[in-house]
Amino acid sequence: MLIEIGHFALVLALVFAMLQVFLPALGLIRANFSLSQLSRPLLWMQFFWIIVSFAVLMNAFIVDDFSVKYVANNSNTELPTIFKMSAVWGAHEGSLLLWALILAAWSVAVSVFSKRLPAEVLNHILIILGLISVGFLLFLLLTSNPFERLENIPLQGRELNPLLQDFGLIIHPPMLYMGYVGLAVPFAFVLSSLVRGQLDSTWLRWSRPWTLVAWAFLTFGIVLGSWWAYYELGWGGWWFWDPVENASFMPWLVATALVHSLSVSEKRGAFKHWTVLLAISGFSLSLLGTFLVRSGILTSVHSFASDPERGLFILIFLMMVIGGSLILYAWRATLMRSSNKFSPLSRESGLLINNILLVAAMLSVFLGTLYPLLLDSLGLGKISVGAPYFDAVFIPIMIPAVLVMAIGPFLRWKKDTTQRVGRLLKGSWIGVTALFFVALYLTDNIFVLLAVLLFIWIVLHSLVLLVQRLQQKGKPSAAFFGMILAHIGIAVFLLGATVTTQYGIEKDLKMTLNETVDIKGYKFIFKGVDNFSSQNYRGHKGVVDVMYQGNKVTTLKPEKRQYVTGMPMTEAAIDPSLYRDLYVSLGEELDDKSWSLRIYYKPLIRLIWLGGIFISLGALLAAFDRRYKLLSQRAVVNRRRVR
Amino acid sequence: MMSLYFWLSLMVVISSIWLVWFIYRPLKSNAFNLEKSNIALGKQKQAELERDLQQNLIDEEVFKQAKDEITQTLAIELNQTTDSPVNTQQPVSLWLSGLAVVFLSVTSLGVYQFLMPKDAPVVQAKQAVQAPSLEQSTVELKQYLEKNPNDFGAWQTLGLVLFELDDIDGSLKAYERSYQLNSKNVSMLVEYASAIATSQNDQFTGRASTLVREALEINPDAPDALYLAGLVAVNAGQFDLSRQLWKKALSLLTQDHPDRPILEDMLVELAQIQGEAMPEYQVVINVDLSDRLRQDEFKNHYLMIYVKAAQGRPMPVAIQKIQIKDFTGMVTLTDKNSVMPSRKLSQSRQVIAVVRLSQSGAAVRQTGDMQVLSKVIDVRDNPIVHLQVE
Repeated sequence: MLIEIGHFALVLALVFAMLQVFLPALGLIRANFSLSQLSRPLLWMQFFWIIVSFAVLMNAFIVDDFSVKYVANNSNTELPTIFKMSAVWGAHEGSLLLWALILAAWSVAVSVFSKRLPAEVLNHILIILGLISVGFLLFLLLTSNPFERLENIPLQGRELNPLLQDFGLIIHPPMLYMGYVGLAVPFAFVLSSLVRGQLDSTWLRWSRPWTLVAWAFLTFGIVLGSWWAYYELGWGGWWFWDPVENASFMPWLVATALVHSLSVSEKRGAFKHWTVLLAISGFSLSLLGTFLVRSGILTSVHSFASDPERGLFILIFLMMVIGGSLILYAWRATLMRSSNKFSPLSRESGLLINNILLVAAMLSVFLGTLYPLLLDSLGLGKISVGAPYFDAVFIPIMIPAVLVMAIGPFLRWKKDTTQRVGRLLKGSWIGVTALFFVALYLTDNIFVLLAVLLFIWIVLHSLVLLVQRLQQKGKPSAAFFGMILAHIGIAVFLLGATVTTQYGIEKDLKMTLNETVDIKGYKFIFKGVDNFSSQNYRGHKGVVDVMYQGNKVTTLKPEKRQYVTGMPMTEAAIDPSLYRDLYVSLGEELDDKSWSLRIYYKPLIRLIWLGGIFISLGALLAAFDRRYKLLSQRAVVNRRRVR
Repeated sequence: MMSLYFWLSLMVVISSIWLVWFIYRPLKSNAFNLEKSNIALGKQKQAELERDLQQNLIDEEVFKQAKDEITQTLAIELNQTTDSPVNTQQPVSLWLSGLAVVFLSVTSLGVYQFLMPKDAPVVQAKQAVQAPSLEQSTVELKQYLEKNPNDFGAWQTLGLVLFELDDIDGSLKAYERSYQLNSKNVSMLVEYASAIATSQNDQFTGRASTLVREALEINPDAPDALYLAGLVAVNAGQFDLSRQLWKKALSLLTQDHPDRPILEDMLVELAQIQGEAMPEYQVVINVDLSDRLRQDEFKNHYLMIYVKAAQGRPMPVAIQKIQIKDFTGMVTLTDKNSVMPSRKLSQSRQVIAVVRLSQSGAAVRQTGDMQVLSKVIDVRDNPIVHLQVE
């Protein structure tokens, strides 16, 4: 019966989402305060019922209720409890329920923490968020019901995809969804402004912290996904230009542009067109990502659940969101005129170039991801677009963006001169040149040299900017420190990604007992393979001793698992460090008692994820800047006065 | 069904109360309208602009222009701010409140009715409330199998249920039906073989051994089938084969699998039957003495290093007694150190390692003796223990 209660709770959540749209909208139209103020309580109740629904589903997993089709298909009694809990979002239906839960949680956060927003504006925003909730809850209930019962109850369930039985996958989807769904908030802010016909400072100011938080989660989610792919898939890679990875990367690029565009719109009243379009694109690309993963048109490690009918539903929803938003945008375009002028050499111009490059980079990824699908669907043949295309197109677009990124913060608003900028940056450029010559002495790899140059370029400029700002009167804001941290994060990421790609070593070997292989001074000694078994799998565990200069560094134990359902899995063994990773993956047993092994030496690979963490933290730091709190307090003071 | 609708109705009632409560007691507004918000933000932007000027982030020439732009923007925003009708806290009409409650109730129950499978939940709800007894299950299974006589899984379940109810003949008939429908189901083959063996006074011969062989042909790594194959081999006097099969089954079981100790004991028993030497286990105990105890005054003291059963009698199972001057830092206890020939170290499982420092070297602990104990260890893991005496 509990399952039926969970299902009904989801239906009630849908009804509350509908009421959250209709009643406050009626109140706003009829200027009825009692009705318009209903948006928050209705949202809270919607959130409550989704929590009930989610808890019921999680309980069904924990107690092995195989009468529920979704549970029977994704869990069994042998699965450890922690994976039973994370199995809730291990496949399509549950991950959509998680999506709905996170959307409701974001909406509640907006309703609780937006005390400084005029009630009228907040009610409009919550109506838009309610409308999105209606779409997703309908999608869940009509095409992806997680509470569907089985007529014949199996004694045992199937297996959760072994790839998902991992700590990384417990937190990667929730973090990524926090980012994806978080972009609904700036979208709702923009749409509410377009509906009201008031594209004013209030909207710009208060949508920025929400955008920054969503961007931080999206960054962290992507970083977690990359880290997971690296250690779990056994290929030693951290990014594969997989279409589903691209589906999360495209909104990230647009959100990055949006964060910068908002700062100009907010402070100088310029770029409003850009900001509106970027907010619409960001959320639309999030929906596109869902469509790509769930429609079944993609085949990748992520497309573990797909259904063309579901794809059609999301496609229609996507078209309504994009179409409706663009119609509103066209209708209100005249409101976005700006007479605020700026010269070609100014901070506004720097941010504009940055935005253009980020959007161009997004379009290059968009093209590479969707063009093969378009050709295929039109029956014009199959083509494969992979890393060579993306490396050749994406990277050259991003290099100038990175160069501009370091100089931009030195430029003055509205107008600057080359003499002043040159005078300001003379010292940095001398430093960059000197350090670059040192790098020239250390390596002759052109790609590494370029990466080192960009790393020095960003870090040195950021440090000079930091010192200059600290010497001036007044304490720099948290947003400033956030920007510095995020920019350094980009530099750290760039260095790690390039060095590991260029200097990483991969060896596919056939090894017999006690055979030794030397990679970059590390001796890998194959000590054999043991059999082992665990709760829901058994398999082989390789033993590889690693020596360096006669001293034992570690013993790596890569695994080859066979899950109870017969699914095989490779579990790499990694010796991590900031300087380098040693990575061993166990292959097959060969005919003469030898085994195939894949051994990797990965220099500086940890910097990739460290850079990502810096970017996330930088964004969070900026989101909690004092200026947002100051006005909040002022709002409270005003409220007291009114009373 | 009744109770399900009671709960659903309760959920609707809670929802309706929440809705009506907030219709008649709306949340207070923050009294911070759009005009005030934009004015406050305009002022803040001007303050920030002045700070930008102080920090040299804007040229003095364009500072005034930027300041004017902020003022102009504010003017435009205030102009854009439509004179929205004054929000009144007029009460919501009764019919609208009623309509909202009706909409909530009818839509939620209607949508649920529309989405609910037409027949299944009634049975399932009943199942969820009360787990049926084995007798009830038998009746329901038989009824089900009358309608679905080709469901081999259900025949297997019936076989198992009847076996549990000691109806061996009925169980064998049910398993035979399952076998006829699908003879490739390993778990069924194993259960069927067990049921036949039970009917033959636990003898795994004839049909029982054939079924076990069939199971292993389908899945040579099925632990249950390997276990039974071992019993078949014991029946045939093939002890080596039996040991081989059980060892393989053991390697396939998880460390915490409940059948593991049973298999381990059977392997020990098998070894005894064959009169073979028991597998020998050992416990290595590293003892770290403090600097004080290494001094000359303690060199003639004795170290009594032993293991004792974790439960039961406290007397040592195996022991070594060494003077500190002869101690190298480590002892290895084996069957040779067993105190009683009938109770060797290798026959023990859960033990505790003990180090006692004694001046007299007496067997019983004396006043002034120092003693350190380990946590519980398993002899069959050939454990290495580190103990520190200070």
